[in-house]
Amino acid sequence: MNLAIETKKLTKTYKTSSGMQSVVKDLDLEVEKGEIFGFLGPNGAGKTTTIKILLGIIDGTSGEANVLGRPAGDIESHKRLSYLPEKPYYYEHMTGLEITQFYASLFGIKDKELCVNLLNRVNLGNDYNRPISQYSKGMQQRVGLAQSLLNDPELLFLDEPTGGLDPIAHIEIRDLILKFRDEGRTVFISSHELSDVERICDRVAIINKGEMVHQGRLDDLLSGGRIEVTADGVPENLADKFKGDDMTLSLRAGRLIADLPDTMSPNEMIDAIRTSGGSVVSVIPRRKRLEDLFLESVSGDNLAKGRVTGKMTDDKKADTKEEEVSS
Amino acid sequence: MNVILSIAKTTIGEAIRRRVLLIILLIGVLFLVIAPGLSVLSARSSYTVLVSFTLGVIQLTSAVIAIVLTVYLLPNEVERRTIYTILSKPVYRWQFLLGKYLGAVGALGLMMALMTGILVLVFKIMQAEAGMDVVMTLARAPMMYFVQMSLLAAVAMFFSTFASPIVNFFLTGGVYLVGTLFSPVFQDIAGNNSVNAMVKTAATVIHTLVPNFAQFNVQNTIINSGSQLRSEQMYYLQMVAYAIAYVAVFLIGGMMIFDRKEV
Repeated sequence: MNLAIETKKLTKTYKTSSGMQSVVKDLDLEVEKGEIFGFLGPNGAGKTTTIKILLGIIDGTSGEANVLGRPAGDIESHKRLSYLPEKPYYYEHMTGLEITQFYASLFGIKDKELCVNLLNRVNLGNDYNRPISQYSKGMQQRVGLAQSLLNDPELLFLDEPTGGLDPIAHIEIRDLILKFRDEGRTVFISSHELSDVERICDRVAIINKGEMVHQGRLDDLLSGGRIEVTADGVPENLADKFKGDDMTLSLRAGRLIADLPDTMSPNEMIDAIRTSGGSVVSVIPRRKRLEDLFLESVSGDNLAKGRVTGKMTDDKKADTKEEEVSS
Repeated sequence: MNVILSIAKTTIGEAIRRRVLLIILLIGVLFLVIAPGLSVLSARSSYTVLVSFTLGVIQLTSAVIAIVLTVYLLPNEVERRTIYTILSKPVYRWQFLLGKYLGAVGALGLMMALMTGILVLVFKIMQAEAGMDVVMTLARAPMMYFVQMSLLAAVAMFFSTFASPIVNFFLTGGVYLVGTLFSPVFQDIAGNNSVNAMVKTAATVIHTLVPNFAQFNVQNTIINSGSQLRSEQMYYLQMVAYAIAYVAVFLIGGMMIFDRKEV
């Protein structure tokens, strides 16, 4: 298999006042080249720690981590990857162009035109000559994306790339990420924006408390959807005919609402409804959503603590949690 | 080398805009400007008072700037996460540390050059008859202070690889005070055969570990024209070599710690 990222039994343990605590436990991660990979988990699940290990910023306690065929942190692989951190900060006295040129210099690139082209590519327009301190969050994120493209990377690590952006910036950056894949790059996204992940990722991994819960292609992980059939004028005795373990039926005043697994064909039920004089109002296939899978994966602990809510963008808490553990 | 210079350049750009440093610098400049007025308060000759006061202001201001500037260099990068973006590029940690240090020294140099410029200006106004040779003699002290502060910045950089900014502030300040006030004492004890062996060993260890900051102060030779160094140029060269050796030790030590540090 052609892997951009591979970890085997990767573990990271910290010494805390209450003893040793594993932030990442026996993590086996496989990210194929050329795909958009979503790395999900509730706050404090170990996502940032894993990314830091993959970037060589911290070392794993045990196990193996390889990035682009080399051990994580290898300086040669750093020439072929890039990283956009969550809530990036830039030296505020510099302009967008100066920041991009600074990061370019770290690769030994002196090409000003390349920097300008990249800033244009991320739609920063003529604002690149203004100081960063005057930039909106979306503009700063664009600068971040521009700097992440300087070395024409094979692999991009994007930590919450659309977090906190307005809808227009959100869509633009999401489209850019899709273009990165079209260009043959591998994109590793850590995000709480489940709708984005579901829309753009080929494969995902969900971790909880440092352990892998799910990993695979979205289509496979989200299989097992439901079909909802609604009909009017259905006689009472028809409901008994279709009762089953994996099906729910409700029949009131002639209105039937049936919820059946997508592995079961609705044709038999539709035919029976018509034969009995009823009329089918709607047949709606409901695909399992990533949010459902995510909630299933983390239910029982984080959900109960109220840490999984809505779009789960309480990033600050995530940082605090992980930093607490780190210290 | 480009990587180190890029990081250094960015560090200078940021340091010279830090308000806290500019306020410290402004206070130092203010004292330099009012120095001629204060010299009338002393019974000593106005020349002596002016020189010792202004050089003292430059030394103290530079020391505070050097410490405040350097203790926050690494922690700020971690707190703002800029270090992650930089270290995810093909940048070695030692390059990052060296770049930050050189940036701090560069910013310090600019601020000290400004104070020295004002010192020379004040002096030319107050001592109009003084020739260029007197001014050049006077400027030697700030140059040696710059070497001294570069060493102090290396000490602060070393501590910042494992200590928090506040702890680092007191550690570096402590090393500077010991190295300025007590180093000659430890040196004497270390070279005295009549003292207890244990005391002598302890004095030798402290004298070796803590740089002798006092020897960079050449104020006396400037104020007392009668007291001459045997070989002035050689003395300055030795001091620069001494500082470079200590800077190298502190930076290499810092790099070794920083290389293993989980940021």
